[in-house]
Amino acid sequence: MKIALRYPVFFYMLIICNLQLNSQNLYSNYSSMSQNIYKLEKEYPSVCTVNSLTKTAGGKEILEITIGTGDKNNKPGIAVVGGVEGNYLLGVEIASGFAAALLKESDSPDIKSLLDKVTFYILPNVSPDATEQFFSKLKYERNVNCRSTDDDRDFVSDEDPFEDLNNDGYITLIRVTDPTGSFVESNEDARIMVPADLSKGEKGKYLVFSEGIDNDKDGKYNEDGEGGVNFNRNFTFNYESFGLNSGLYPVSEPETKAVADFLFDRFNIYTVFSFGPQDNLGQPLKSAEGPASQPRPQTRRGQYRRPAMSEADGIITSILKSDETINKMVSDRYHEITGAKGAPVSRTTRGNFMDWAYFHYGRYSFSTPAWWITAEKGKSPEAAFLKYADSKKMNDVFVPWAEIKDPDFADKKTEVGGIKPFVMNTPPADTLGDIVKNNYKFITAIASMHPELEFLDMKTENAGENLFRITLHVHNKGIFATCAEIGDDNMFTRIMRISLELQQGQSIISGLKVERIKRLEGGQSAEFSWLILGKGTVKVTAGAVNTGIISDNISLR
Amino acid sequence: MIKNLYKLIFFSSLISVLLFQNTAAQNEEFFFRASGSPSNPKVQASWNRYYTYAGLVDLCTKLAAAYPGLVTMESAGKSYQGRDIVVLTITDKKVSQPDKKPGYWIDGNIHSIELQGTEMALYTAWYLCEMYNDNEFIKQLLKDKTFYIAPTINPDAREYFTAVGVPPRSGLVPRDNDRDGLYDEDGYDDLNHDKNISQMRRKSPNGDYKTDPKDPRRMIHVEPGEKGEYELLGYEGIDNDGDGLVNEDGPGGYDGNRDWGLNWQPNYIQYGADKYPFSFPENQAVRDFTLKHRNITGAQTFHNSAGMILRGPSVQGGGAEVYSREDDEVINTIGKKGELMLPGYKLVTVWKDMYPVWGGELDWWHGEMGCFVYSNELWTPYLMFYDSTKTDDAAEYEFEKLLLFEDSFIPWQKYQHPVYGEIEIGGFSKNFGRLHPGFMLETDAHRNAAFCIYNAWQTPKLQVTDVKVRKLQGGLSEVTATIENTRMIPTHSSGNLQYRIDPPDYVFLEGGKVLAGMIVRDKDMNVNEEQKKNPSRMEISNLSGYERVDLKWVVKGGSKFTIRVESIKGGTASAQSD
Repeated sequence: MKIALRYPVFFYMLIICNLQLNSQNLYSNYSSMSQNIYKLEKEYPSVCTVNSLTKTAGGKEILEITIGTGDKNNKPGIAVVGGVEGNYLLGVEIASGFAAALLKESDSPDIKSLLDKVTFYILPNVSPDATEQFFSKLKYERNVNCRSTDDDRDFVSDEDPFEDLNNDGYITLIRVTDPTGSFVESNEDARIMVPADLSKGEKGKYLVFSEGIDNDKDGKYNEDGEGGVNFNRNFTFNYESFGLNSGLYPVSEPETKAVADFLFDRFNIYTVFSFGPQDNLGQPLKSAEGPASQPRPQTRRGQYRRPAMSEADGIITSILKSDETINKMVSDRYHEITGAKGAPVSRTTRGNFMDWAYFHYGRYSFSTPAWWITAEKGKSPEAAFLKYADSKKMNDVFVPWAEIKDPDFADKKTEVGGIKPFVMNTPPADTLGDIVKNNYKFITAIASMHPELEFLDMKTENAGENLFRITLHVHNKGIFATCAEIGDDNMFTRIMRISLELQQGQSIISGLKVERIKRLEGGQSAEFSWLILGKGTVKVTAGAVNTGIISDNISLR
Repeated sequence: MIKNLYKLIFFSSLISVLLFQNTAAQNEEFFFRASGSPSNPKVQASWNRYYTYAGLVDLCTKLAAAYPGLVTMESAGKSYQGRDIVVLTITDKKVSQPDKKPGYWIDGNIHSIELQGTEMALYTAWYLCEMYNDNEFIKQLLKDKTFYIAPTINPDAREYFTAVGVPPRSGLVPRDNDRDGLYDEDGYDDLNHDKNISQMRRKSPNGDYKTDPKDPRRMIHVEPGEKGEYELLGYEGIDNDGDGLVNEDGPGGYDGNRDWGLNWQPNYIQYGADKYPFSFPENQAVRDFTLKHRNITGAQTFHNSAGMILRGPSVQGGGAEVYSREDDEVINTIGKKGELMLPGYKLVTVWKDMYPVWGGELDWWHGEMGCFVYSNELWTPYLMFYDSTKTDDAAEYEFEKLLLFEDSFIPWQKYQHPVYGEIEIGGFSKNFGRLHPGFMLETDAHRNAAFCIYNAWQTPKLQVTDVKVRKLQGGLSEVTATIENTRMIPTHSSGNLQYRIDPPDYVFLEGGKVLAGMIVRDKDMNVNEEQKKNPSRMEISNLSGYERVDLKWVVKGGSKFTIRVESIKGGTASAQSD
């Protein structure tokens, strides 16, 4: 009975595989990705655990892979996040490919010793509702989950989706030859539609819309399709209230909340890598010339303050100086290791994950689309992409303009065509393997620069009789600071402590039993000193979960 | 024998009191009605003491039982420790559905030590019920409006404050305030076990405080060059975690009023904020309730203290909130009426006159729910002597002595402190300073309830008037009608309009086939705005305070027409043609 069932399924899968495009064979849909992830846990039980954090509105699990050894949550941690924006499928492959590669090499001496020091938390796909559109019969670039929302605020939800007017399985564009249109063919590539430039004496020839009909007859095309909320717009930093696909309030979605909770609960994480439209690896961020924050408005009454909390002067909107240095170094390494040239078009969206991970989660945060075609300044990225595709003989990236019958424009020449969805964010199949491998090398190289504490110049002096003076430095021998500068004032990062454990009969004459250690840049150290009365052994312990905790016994005799 | 007789009388009277409490009103011949108050309430309640959580649940249960035609009691959700967030829905249930009438929300006690918001909310609920049968205004009000009253939206910390005596501003979700990996490990300590956290002082030759010669209970700062005798060491407590700091990580340690989903900022910008908006279950419960009751048009969220009627914006420029001139006029007019009704209270704009607040509840109600909302900061020292020149610390001591007979002062007593050595513990008890003394609680509860009632009364009341029919040729009729908002608050705030939060007000014509529909902008000049799509459901984007909108339809067939208006925040109304 079981066998009988299996064959039709297998047969069906074969058909699907054959139908799929070449490049898609290498991208995994939700179910095969999930299977692969759970397989990793079975294959590497000693270093790998898989957790399901929550389910999306579309009923898909958000999976998390922890890779580490020993006391995993009490040593520096790195998060690797894919699927930050649903139309960037590459990030899902990089994140899951990273986990697979790391596990494959987990027996090698290099990775073994890395895992002694660092734990990896990999979230391969945080937008599974959206990414699934890539594998469905109707393909369009989607970045929203399955929550039903009223995108055009007409008090009806999901009533104006795309329609595949030419039945080719892709949503592209419609152009209508019409004197009221404002679009013309581009000078760079006649296949591309660009707005007419009145300053150059150009007159518009075409109306251009996305492919579909105006279902709700409001004059707008496909402005309220299936879903939803965009994971990459639902975070608290620079959140856009009442924005398109930003959610009812920040962190309103189960997957956003689950990811934020997962990360907040892990105080040991000091760096987040994510893969999506935001970039600070191709081009590192620059700190502000003046103050990094907006000044606070003057008020008549003083702000309520607490000694345990220091308040910043205002909302911080650009990278802080010390973090800028690290960002520059990491970006340089990115180019060196992956061979990436130039930088992608910079995309900032409000409420995005990369900015949140830095400004509000308070960690080092790095993001890149990981693959891009560089366009010259002022030139069309679409034209540059088509030129690249031609040179690579990629012949399935464009749907040639072809006339269709469209009831919305019954008496006008109407054509469907344009660049196929996803092709500009998803590299050709033959390059995918290298991209995944190079990003794996990059992340592991950066991971080896983690903060790490050691005691230096530990001295004990007998100050006479039973009185001893202990002096030592706590040194950060890593390249990364013990905590990103942005996280120093954040309640959800830990403050390092140094503490002494005395034996019976010993007492502290001068110095604190427990003391805070200020944030240490890479290579920086802090000096501590105590006067102890009484012979014996003193145990000194220093650090926090994000740096690892070190201890030593000091013998006083 | 006589002793026993007394006992007998005492117990029998106690039993009769209990019986009356549980059944109904007392014997009417005992009382003569004072104006404006229920003289013989069905549910006995006293307003010169504070309710514990159990007490407020008991009172709410009794109201719901005594007035089933008015009161529905439900739980909006659970607190962190599993207590119900009780919400009373109070309206005349015989007239329309509760959530089809303009709603008015009241909550209190979001800050744990700010107890009396609960009593203001409870008093309002009790007053509405007990006056319904005797007062025409209240009767009509409950026909037109629905009150949603949540006496406490922070029940865990209320219970903690009243029972244990530690004053966190926050709820009781554990939090690592000193960022050492331990949660709530170094809070205040009730060293002298009197269920109060009071002050610690120590005799010291270097001290900069001395006792006040006029009232030795009071500590005063010495003049420059003057020698002091005491140093103040802060609130009662020890260094529980041995890190060199006292009381730096107590229970909770956040601010539930920095946890709302509009204009939110993290804790390094806004003290008290947590990980993201709605980090706490109590606020999640209120949020979910509000999202299910879009008919709520006005709101009051009680705090203490300082005698302020707070209005937004809470941050300069309002952030994501919209404040138009029209809305400002309404907010200020009602707020000024509040100043009249609440002596000693001043209308205050949060960011400008107090301090900026990111992620406050006020912004959620105004910006996200499109409501007209105030937050009254209850109690002001002005109320001590009704004298604005006698409101300082010295006046508090005098007031407490003359009118409260030192009932709320804990005399300084010696204590051996593990770190500070011999100290003294004393000062005002937790029920003084920010909380109303018993004898003033009912007065201020009534005034604040009246302000809420005034607010609720000013929420929109819609009318359909002047339904007229004129025969046109070819069997067609022209139907005209006027839709009017007869109160001050609009059906849509400016933010509601700009962000299209609630649907427009819909006007339906029934009784014939609508061929065309239009809003009449100028009757005399025949300037109309035709609604081409779906004219049998005309859309009016907003009905401002006292605004009248004329509509006109061309209808085929029918002779008697019904015009009905439906507004999410303005309620419903209808009228028929002759």
